[in-house]
Amino acid sequence: MNTALTTTQLSVRFGDKVALNSIDLSIPSNGVTALLGDNGAGKTTLINCALGLCKPSSGRLKIFSETPGKIETKKLIGVMLQDSNLPDLLSAAEHIQLFSTYYPDPLSLEQLSHQCGLERFIHKRYKTLSGGQKRRVQFALAILGRPKIVFLDEPTTGLDIDARNLVWNTINQLRDTGTAVLLTTHYLEEADALADHTIVMSDGNIIANDSTENIRAAATGAVIRCESRLDLSVIRTLTDVRSVKIRGRQVEILSDNPTATLITLLALDPNLANLTVSKSNLEDAFIKLTNDSKLAEAAS
Amino acid sequence: MNSLINETGAEILKAIRAPEFLLPTMLMPCAFYSLFGVVLSNGSSNATYLLATYGVFAVMGPAIFGFGVGVANECDRGWLQLKQAVPAPPYNYVAAKIVTTLLFAGLALIPIYLIAGFLGGVELQRETWVSLFGLHLMSVIPFVLIGLSLGFSLSSGGAVAISNIAFLGLAILGGLWIPVTVFPEMMQTIAKFTPSYHLAELALAIVGSGGNHATSFNLLSVLVISLVLLGMAISAWQRQR
Repeated sequence: MNTALTTTQLSVRFGDKVALNSIDLSIPSNGVTALLGDNGAGKTTLINCALGLCKPSSGRLKIFSETPGKIETKKLIGVMLQDSNLPDLLSAAEHIQLFSTYYPDPLSLEQLSHQCGLERFIHKRYKTLSGGQKRRVQFALAILGRPKIVFLDEPTTGLDIDARNLVWNTINQLRDTGTAVLLTTHYLEEADALADHTIVMSDGNIIANDSTENIRAAATGAVIRCESRLDLSVIRTLTDVRSVKIRGRQVEILSDNPTATLITLLALDPNLANLTVSKSNLEDAFIKLTNDSKLAEAAS
Repeated sequence: MNSLINETGAEILKAIRAPEFLLPTMLMPCAFYSLFGVVLSNGSSNATYLLATYGVFAVMGPAIFGFGVGVANECDRGWLQLKQAVPAPPYNYVAAKIVTTLLFAGLALIPIYLIAGFLGGVELQRETWVSLFGLHLMSVIPFVLIGLSLGFSLSSGGAVAISNIAFLGLAILGGLWIPVTVFPEMMQTIAKFTPSYHLAELALAIVGSGGNHATSFNLLSVLVISLVLLGMAISAWQRQR
């Protein structure tokens, strides 16, 4: 697998606070990767390191084997930052024109305007645009240089449905043209809809890093909780069981098909007690993953 | 080069689209000069003296405010951060702003020169006019560096307040309005550490009213002060919020 971004024991500390805690990560050079996590989980710090805006305290980060922050590296990157407003008094067209001079082979104004839906306001001053229109202009600047990897820090925060769909479509187009996309988001549905790969962060650590499908699968299907006399190794072999965990006196069974699993389970252990079945989604998986990591930390 | 030209073009557009900011900084020195150098003045020697010092005053505004407030504002909105993440040549941002500041400093100087020549009765050799103009333009450098330090270290609100203090303080201490010799001795000592004082002395030497210090002393002082300010600006840039 070709990687767009690799980190090796990457740590960032701000005074006493550990923003990134020895992270090992690689992000594939094609496809969309979502970075999920609460505020303060370290998502933005990770992106800032990749952009060369934040120096690692230890460890390293490479983008296509290049060092972040160098001008040649920056030419491979497109970026949309979380709180970055463009100067008010220039129009979208003027911003695009200026940014075009930074890249060797930029997209044309017409192409960008069409792709990002800027036609109606391209000559208006940035100040007069709505929040969604501003994000679209920022997005246009991110993809303008035909980047090999695009960093989108919460690209759809504050967007209306139309603008969000447009951004989603463009992200899909980027994927189709073989661009790596790393996006951070609070919206799990966004990761679900777009990302091939999902990374979950919590308190500067990576607590899950898998295909979105697997992370969702950890979440779709259902969680069966019960008290059973059966051995864990037996439960593991039941129909459609994905994983089994002990939680106090209960077993927690993650099943792709709870009905089928329950039939086999009840056949083997008719005296099973305190049975609950709950449906979960990516949100549950996310909450569960972040909670697990916090519990583990509290225990250690 | 192409990107520097575009960057400068963008800076100029931004400046002329905010005339409420640009015009007062450009016209105030001119209005002050007309009043104190011409209307209330008792002769052309006074007008000549004040032309030398008000020229320095005129370039301070665009330099200190343009950089101090302008940079702080663009820092605040995350624009500088984005600029650093994209492959913009690193010094273009500052270079484009310097070119723009020189342009507006020149535009602020021209009406003062015209008023001095046509209404104030100031008579100078052609070369003297040219060297004076050159010196006045070059005077932006230390003030740009002050503006940069302020812009990188302060929020935009703080930058407005501190820029005002710097602007007025440097004008008064530099003797741009009233000769420093009328001040108490302590203020005169402090004045020697300001770039405005030495630049005014140099301008006065050009128009033939110098004499407090040797020109070489003033030149050296400006150089040393500018180097110190450059160090401060670089460190402020690196410690950016």
